Amino acid sequence: MKMLPTPATWRRPANFAFAALVLLTASAGLAADSPTGGEPGVRTFVLSNIYLASPQEPGACKTLAAGGWESFLSMLPAEERAKYAAPEKRNALDARMNEYFGFKRIGIFAKDPGGKVAPAKLPADFKRGDPLTAERAKQIGALNGFPKDRGKPAYQNQTVAYNSCTNPEDFPQLEKGYRLYDGTKAVGLNLDGKRGRNDFSSPDGGQGVDNQLWRAIGCVKIFGEQGDRKVAAGTFISGRAPTLIELRGVDDIRNDPDVTVNIYGAADAVTRNGRREAQAWASFRLDPDPTLRATTHGRIVDGVLTTDPVDVHLNYKEQIIDSPRDLRGARIRMVFKSDGSVEGGFYGYYTLASFYESIEQMTLNGANFSGVSCPGVRRAIDRLADGYRDRKTGRFTAISSAMNFFGVPAFIIDGPVASVGMQKPLPARDPS
Amino acid sequence: MTFLSITRRVFAPKILAVIVPAMAAAAAFATANSGPSPNTGSPQGSIRRLTEAQYRAVIADVFGDDIRVVGRFEPDLRVDGLVAVGTSAVSVTPGGLDQYEELARGIAGQITDDAHRAKLVGCAPGVDDPDGAKCARAFFTRVGLMLYRRPLTPGETQLALATTLASARTLGSFDAGLAAALTGMLTSPDFLFRIDAPSAAGRSVGGYAKAVKLSFLLWNTAPDAQLLAAAGRGELDTQAGLTRQVDRLIASPRFTNGIRAFFSDFLLLDDMETLSKDQLLYPSFTSAVSSALREQTLRTITDLLVTRHGDYRDLFTTRRIAMTRELGPIYTVPVSAQGWTFHEFPEGDPRTGLLTQASLLALHSHPGRTSPTLRGKAIRETLLCEKIPSPPANVNFAVVQDVNNPTLKTTRARLQAHLNDEECASCHRLTDPIGLGLEKFDGAGQFRMTEHDEPIDTSGSFDKLAFRDAASLGELFHDSPAVASCLVSSVWRYATGRSIGSSDQPVVAALDARFRAQGYRVVDLMRSVALEPAFYAEPAMFPAPPKVAASATPRKAS
Repeated sequence: MKMLPTPATWRRPANFAFAALVLLTASAGLAADSPTGGEPGVRTFVLSNIYLASPQEPGACKTLAAGGWESFLSMLPAEERAKYAAPEKRNALDARMNEYFGFKRIGIFAKDPGGKVAPAKLPADFKRGDPLTAERAKQIGALNGFPKDRGKPAYQNQTVAYNSCTNPEDFPQLEKGYRLYDGTKAVGLNLDGKRGRNDFSSPDGGQGVDNQLWRAIGCVKIFGEQGDRKVAAGTFISGRAPTLIELRGVDDIRNDPDVTVNIYGAADAVTRNGRREAQAWASFRLDPDPTLRATTHGRIVDGVLTTDPVDVHLNYKEQIIDSPRDLRGARIRMVFKSDGSVEGGFYGYYTLASFYESIEQMTLNGANFSGVSCPGVRRAIDRLADGYRDRKTGRFTAISSAMNFFGVPAFIIDGPVASVGMQKPLPARDPS
Repeated sequence: MTFLSITRRVFAPKILAVIVPAMAAAAAFATANSGPSPNTGSPQGSIRRLTEAQYRAVIADVFGDDIRVVGRFEPDLRVDGLVAVGTSAVSVTPGGLDQYEELARGIAGQITDDAHRAKLVGCAPGVDDPDGAKCARAFFTRVGLMLYRRPLTPGETQLALATTLASARTLGSFDAGLAAALTGMLTSPDFLFRIDAPSAAGRSVGGYAKAVKLSFLLWNTAPDAQLLAAAGRGELDTQAGLTRQVDRLIASPRFTNGIRAFFSDFLLLDDMETLSKDQLLYPSFTSAVSSALREQTLRTITDLLVTRHGDYRDLFTTRRIAMTRELGPIYTVPVSAQGWTFHEFPEGDPRTGLLTQASLLALHSHPGRTSPTLRGKAIRETLLCEKIPSPPANVNFAVVQDVNNPTLKTTRARLQAHLNDEECASCHRLTDPIGLGLEKFDGAGQFRMTEHDEPIDTSGSFDKLAFRDAASLGELFHDSPAVASCLVSSVWRYATGRSIGSSDQPVVAALDARFRAQGYRVVDLMRSVALEPAFYAEPAMFPAPPKVAASATPRKAS
């Protein structure tokens, strides 16, 4: 495992993507609180999006990494390649790739719209209307000839699938055309206190930035798009199971040498206001899952919070993905803005296990449309991992990363909480 | 012949026969008075059109909540501050008749559909009743009582029966015939209007009309079977019988609906349903929030005044407010409950009393900024029953509207500049001090400390008494005799559907005195009005009875 710097050694001039923003807001007064805006000395923020931040470096990634379709296309003989090259031939290419690799899609109750699925064998206790979960998908996969103990079957609506995202290791052929991020800049912090030759500089000029995850995936179309700050600001990722950051012991929101920082999973969804932004000052219950809670300490200097490293387990629940993000040794750096909102990031080591799980849960269709080669991503991260070496295997178990976020003021409330399950609706509101 | 043409042919002449005199009477009122208020100085009976809320409530009461009322209504008219007064001044336009007919057809179609007919019709043609005449008679006798709020006359029953059978033959279906006749009944003036028919004795309205007045005052819907039965037995003509029914209605959970209806009208809260704000400036104020704010105010009021039988004046100083998660962001408070709950602001909090509820603050603001003038005018007119003249047509609002003026950063400063025009100043001196006291609440009713980084000054005076902020202004309202008196006169106008006339004044004065003596309890005020003989006084200027068979038939004396 790489050595983590102590807070004292790490306290250095801002090496941070939005230092300019700090300067802009440093002289602005913070938004006035309501006279009854919660417990004194406590500030809570709900994060509307936690995203892999792109440095938006001009000239980087002129050629994007090949996705699964592109990789497969390049494997074909010239004549066949010409046949499937046109964008309108994507469905035919997809069918050809499924046939070639033996990818399987199981329609559970009805033929899917494409009409290409095989009839399924189902567990005896599985009935129409039962929720399709990861465990169910695995059971169904086993009954229908999916390779045993190889990855996690993807599932969506009434379809279960085995393919190169289910288990990227089995399809190295689809790495062809994958490429790494070739820029010199990346968002993030110097996590190890060193300036290595593989380190980046940050967009604001900071040196020694550790963000090998961006090197691995920065040229993948979808990550590049979603990492754009403007796009991310209007996107709610994991909005139905957001993360809360609570500061306690805040005497002065602009300068405070010691605040307690709690990170929680929330059991209530982020709501949008009339501008389609996250609604400020909404109330959130806490998810009872203790693994979604972490505590560290931090300090506020000129309206910027920085924390000590802490391991965090952040919810990441989307339509078909339920894959919490595990970050080891993550620091929070967060700017308090004049409108009361915050912008910042978690900068730490993303565990390979949790990142791979999110890749495995992608459907192949979704991955292909997003230009993701699951085997390419997997292989790149394997190669570039740089944190938390496993003593037994000698291999790194995590990769340096930068996940930025946007947040608005919120309240944490007590109350009965149901765990936010993958397909489990929250209790209905009192209709009165 | 179609369904539509059948109902039109049978019922349109009847509705016009009633509406035309009603309109003539309204015109007479208007001619007699320079203002829009239908006020002749003496009590008169009235024809009052059902409001949309009342129409919906009656349909739900008679046929059930699952009968959908889909369509547009003729707009209600606010007169002398109240829609209730406007109900005496509105008629049904030809276009409105079309809308009512569409509504009626939709309702009748549901009642006779497979999902509802067994429960709501309860019979069908059979061996003993080959054309369904017995079934139709039973249906209209039962339903007609509830819809017309009195027993049908023999002529009306016969008309409904004949329409059903004729339509059934034409349309080839008994149910279609029944629906056609029901459609006609639902577009009849006897349903759409509350008609104060006189009693045989001639000193007051008849028993059924009393039941209607009582029920709409206390429940905002038509009388239930028990009240109609009491009316039929003449019990409402005795003080004991009337008291028994008034107390029964007030004890019912439905009394809350009546209080909600009054305050919704009194405080113009129905306007919240169409209120919108500039989303760039007030992104938290969505249409759902606007609806919830209306509900918040009504729940706060009924909690204090009905559930806890509280003092009306405390409404201006209470720190207890109904709250829901949706409104937490507007008030910047955490809300734990999933549904509605009550939140208590701490002592010393600026959010104190009705004047600081976001509903009223937002309602009387511009879409993108506050307006001390609008707020002050609304409060003076609504809560103090004062009349504030409209601004002259040529007034120059440029200074007030320039919210980005670099030197006049606060609304107070901009208004002060506007007051340099003496013509404007006379009215603004009345309205603005109250409104400026509420300036720490923005155009969406959210708390703020500054405007353009300038501290907001909320001090002012009301009735020559100084206040420092919204909370202390609320205390002055609590102690103001004019506030309590205005409520009493508003309840009377709401109950009678007319402006206060000279003959009303002693009645209102007596009610006012009783209201004070009884500790400003609104429940007791409603009871006093419901027991007040003047509330049931004989129509002095009742329009000529409709010259149609059904209405011309003498009604049963009550």
